[in-house]
Amino acid sequence: YVQKKPYDWIRGYHVGGRSLMWGRQCYRWSDLDFEANAKDGHGVDWPIRYKDIAPWYSYVEQFAGISGSKEGLPQLPDGEFLPPMEMNALETHVSESIKQKFTDGRRMIIGRVANLTRGWNGRGPCQYRNLCDRGCPFGGYFSSNSATLPVAANTGNLTLRPHSIVMEVMYDKEKKRATGVRIIDENTHESIEYFAKVIFLNASAIASTAILLNSVSDAFPNGMGNSSDQLGRNLMDHHYHVGAGGRYDGLKDKVIQGRRPNGIYVARFRNLDEKTKRSDYLRGFGYQGGASRGMNWNIDGIGSELKEQMTEPADWSFWLGSWGEQLPHPANRITLSKTEKDKWGLPQLEFDCEWRENEIAMRKDMMDSAAEMLESAGIKDIYTFNDEKAYPGLCIHEMGTARMGNDPQTSVLNKWNQLHEVKNVFNTDGACMTSSACQNPSITYMALTARAADHAVSELKKANL
Amino acid sequence: MVALATGGVVIGGELFLTGCRTKESKAAGMAFSNNDIAFLDEVAETIIPRTTTAGAKEAEVGKFMTVMVNDCYEEPDQKIFHEGMDQLDEACNKMHGHSFMKAEPAHRTELLKALDKEAKEYTKNKKKDDPAHYFTMMKQLTLLGYFSSKPGLEQNFNYQQVPGKYDGAVPYKKGDKLFI
Repeated sequence: YVQKKPYDWIRGYHVGGRSLMWGRQCYRWSDLDFEANAKDGHGVDWPIRYKDIAPWYSYVEQFAGISGSKEGLPQLPDGEFLPPMEMNALETHVSESIKQKFTDGRRMIIGRVANLTRGWNGRGPCQYRNLCDRGCPFGGYFSSNSATLPVAANTGNLTLRPHSIVMEVMYDKEKKRATGVRIIDENTHESIEYFAKVIFLNASAIASTAILLNSVSDAFPNGMGNSSDQLGRNLMDHHYHVGAGGRYDGLKDKVIQGRRPNGIYVARFRNLDEKTKRSDYLRGFGYQGGASRGMNWNIDGIGSELKEQMTEPADWSFWLGSWGEQLPHPANRITLSKTEKDKWGLPQLEFDCEWRENEIAMRKDMMDSAAEMLESAGIKDIYTFNDEKAYPGLCIHEMGTARMGNDPQTSVLNKWNQLHEVKNVFNTDGACMTSSACQNPSITYMALTARAADHAVSELKKANL
Repeated sequence: MVALATGGVVIGGELFLTGCRTKESKAAGMAFSNNDIAFLDEVAETIIPRTTTAGAKEAEVGKFMTVMVNDCYEEPDQKIFHEGMDQLDEACNKMHGHSFMKAEPAHRTELLKALDKEAKEYTKNKKKDDPAHYFTMMKQLTLLGYFSSKPGLEQNFNYQQVPGKYDGAVPYKKGDKLFI
């Protein structure tokens, strides 16, 4: 792909996709997020509110199995949780310290994660190996491979066709409907057409939009459903690689057993209301991280003394990294190259996206607040980091480029995730997102998907599709 | 982690992370012989000797080093490593009057302690883009190899392949084996 500005486009083109390698953190959004664009004027208003998606969060949480603790935080709504994982000794200390020392209501909680703390729907439980990204033989976390594909296969209606690269969605101008997709076989380069009543285009944010941009016809010379010229615009990610860490002198009489594939989470505490309003940036950020105590690598010398010292526990350490919201900006966009093609003859993508003023201003607070919280809890030798080379895309939370909205003039998808202009084409991956919030987005895609699928079935039954 | 122990970055670290690449072409004098592996085993054993638990030789760290150097080191670093084996032997000759393989354990330890100091001093004073000291490479690879090996993990720690649970506040007193 072509980088007009640096962009890290990280893909997982295999059966199961990035559901095998994802970070598994699952946080509901709230109306703080769904109302953000309407309130500060960046981007367009979301066509839905929390009440529209809340039952679908519950639906997917109950299917996937999300472990977590109920906290009653309005900006981070509770869900249908399996029992939470445990904080370790230092995390408990830091969490309690933050609760006592900060009067703005900020909370450090255990991460909400799609790892199963007990057996669930025939899968798991998690064995605390922390080898999730190799794919779990215990089905200990939610992935397409462990959870949804087996259920789909059991219906008898699933045909899985790997090595298929969708080139375009085909369109019938008379009926104003999409008729199917044209694919190219990755290996043989053979072109094949598949036909369907309804198409869910879920190739991940960038690829779904690329397919629509490449679906050119008389009716849609600039890409399917793109009369608004919004397709490809408002590309977002979360900005991260910023935070702080340090070591702790106490708790020498405690160590850790097991490798927990999860950490702690600090819910957003900036710009929630008038009291927490910042003058230097809009919106906010959360933190992930955790404490650990392992073997002692920081040793000089050689010989039996070195060996003995290395096998003793090091000091406890704490690491706190921040994930921040990116404002939607129409000039942050992807387009199809007019000259460069990939090996299958498809146009390469051009990325033109950068962190702007608001993100850069926010990062300073993300870093300083991390150090401040750690310091207040007695963490020593605090270091801070703010990696300027963490370009958009690196967080692998790419969102936007086919945003939902009420107005077909300014958005691509409607409130049911249908293309405004082609009602039998749905998109429910990151492309549909109208803003980025600061929470990990996957559970929101999953809830939107279930909601849109339910709508599609109901419309099919009414013969509206 | 290893970087902390030996100063500076992990040599070849970029390739550790992305999965090592095997280089097809080997420059002259850049292949490891069985004698080289035996030599590296003894160097590693001096860094991590057998005590009540296995030493680096039992963990086949010599062989591990050759794989890492072949697959994960860039050519200039490979050259430093190969030349470093000769330099180490020469240093032993100078200090003890015979080769490293013929030196008794106490002499080996004395030599490597001196080299460890020398490498640490070199690392402290070197410019960012200067190459690493050969002994830094050998020590890094020894620690990495030993503490990711079966005997290294199983004999020194309470290693649980499938822990099955998490407890973040297990009582600990000096001498207890650390969970890893």
